[in-house]
Amino acid sequence: MGVAQPSTLEQVLITTKVEKVINWARASSVWPMTFGLACCAIEMMAAGASKFDFDRFGAGIFRATPRQSDLMIVAGTVTYKMAPVIKKLYDQMPEPKWVIAMGSCATAGGPFDSYHTIQGVDKIVPVDVYIPGCPPRPESLIYGFMKLQDKIMTSSLADRYKDIFEEVG
Amino acid sequence: MSEPNTPEVPQGEVPVGPYVYDLAASPQRQIVLPKTAPVPSLATYKAEVIAQAAADEAKWQKQLADFEIAKAKAEAEGKDAPKAPVRAVPRKDDNDLKTPWPVEATDPDLLKLQALLGDRVEEVFQQAGELVCQVKKEAILDALRLCRDEVDLRYEMLADASATHYPVGKDFAFSVVYHLTSISRRKRLRLRILIPEGFVPASACEVYPSANWMEREIYDMLGIRFANHPDMTRILCPEDWEGYPLRKEYPTVGWGQRDIDFREDRGGVLNRIAMTTAGQLGINLKQPKAD
Repeated sequence: MGVAQPSTLEQVLITTKVEKVINWARASSVWPMTFGLACCAIEMMAAGASKFDFDRFGAGIFRATPRQSDLMIVAGTVTYKMAPVIKKLYDQMPEPKWVIAMGSCATAGGPFDSYHTIQGVDKIVPVDVYIPGCPPRPESLIYGFMKLQDKIMTSSLADRYKDIFEEVG
Repeated sequence: MSEPNTPEVPQGEVPVGPYVYDLAASPQRQIVLPKTAPVPSLATYKAEVIAQAAADEAKWQKQLADFEIAKAKAEAEGKDAPKAPVRAVPRKDDNDLKTPWPVEATDPDLLKLQALLGDRVEEVFQQAGELVCQVKKEAILDALRLCRDEVDLRYEMLADASATHYPVGKDFAFSVVYHLTSISRRKRLRLRILIPEGFVPASACEVYPSANWMEREIYDMLGIRFANHPDMTRILCPEDWEGYPLRKEYPTVGWGQRDIDFREDRGGVLNRIAMTTAGQLGINLKQPKAD
């Protein structure tokens, strides 16, 4: 036929960018931290359990320590007493790290427009994906996680380097 | 029981700080203080009933007087006499679902408590089958001990201790209520004290150790300190919290809404990156507005 046959070399080699491989590895194995604060945590557990099976996306291993995790799913209401703890845990996570604000409380305070609740966890830590809902169903969490994977896949090492080392202060 | 530590009582403490919310900027968030101090009480209820009866009587007398005047006027003008007024009788409805009013105490527990404490009891009454005993504020520890130890009472458990703020109370600012439960006798009893601002009631930890955290919560939420409490510190709010959130003058949106910003935003870079990435992904992100 008219189609050129691939050469022997092309049959055994795949060429790609290092950055893309790294992004692919990172997006395919995001280890979230066990971080349930309120009722959203129940949905997060459901997402991790057999029916929804978060593990399909490589994110089923909920770690009990920030030092082994890449993703912090802030699932629930963030109070002022909890805020320093969240900040400390976020700081203990190794780079690269991502944050998902799950539910309306973590996104914007939710119904608690009150003296004790932080109006959105983005006042403490940078958030990558916001998931609306009260609480969001596991499908929403999975969709938000897939958006995060998209974000990881499009991220660039050069940008990250610039973020961290060049534009500080 | 550790060393008695009577804490210093703050005088006229008004929480101010760098985090005061600008209430004038959002008038719908202004605090509306209650104008009455509705403590459930038999004496108050009786006074209300008497006042209501007096008001009804006065209204009736005015109606009669008006009728007499109208009658005399009609006679003088040679017209027909006006219709005589009919006194309105309040309708009685046994199925009326109103707040049950307090009634005289008939329960043997309350009578026993009243007999044992004598004039240290201010008031006993029952409301919807629940027993309430208000004692003098200095006698609360004795009353609690009596309720626990007396053979006929045997209230073994302190189920809850709570308090309420009444900013316009006549000679009190708070009511502290102890909810006692007798497991062996399946009964419940409420002990209440009314205390003014700054009064330090005795801690119930000596009698009921479970009062420890409850009294800490009362202190945290309302600022009532308890004498001889082993650890009179905040329990729910952070240690550096200003003010007492369950006081009526505390704005629900206000002092607590701190401008909390731990995060180093790296000069807004993270935000910009997020927006750019979102644009690449076709997500419409709006920049979060600071409150």
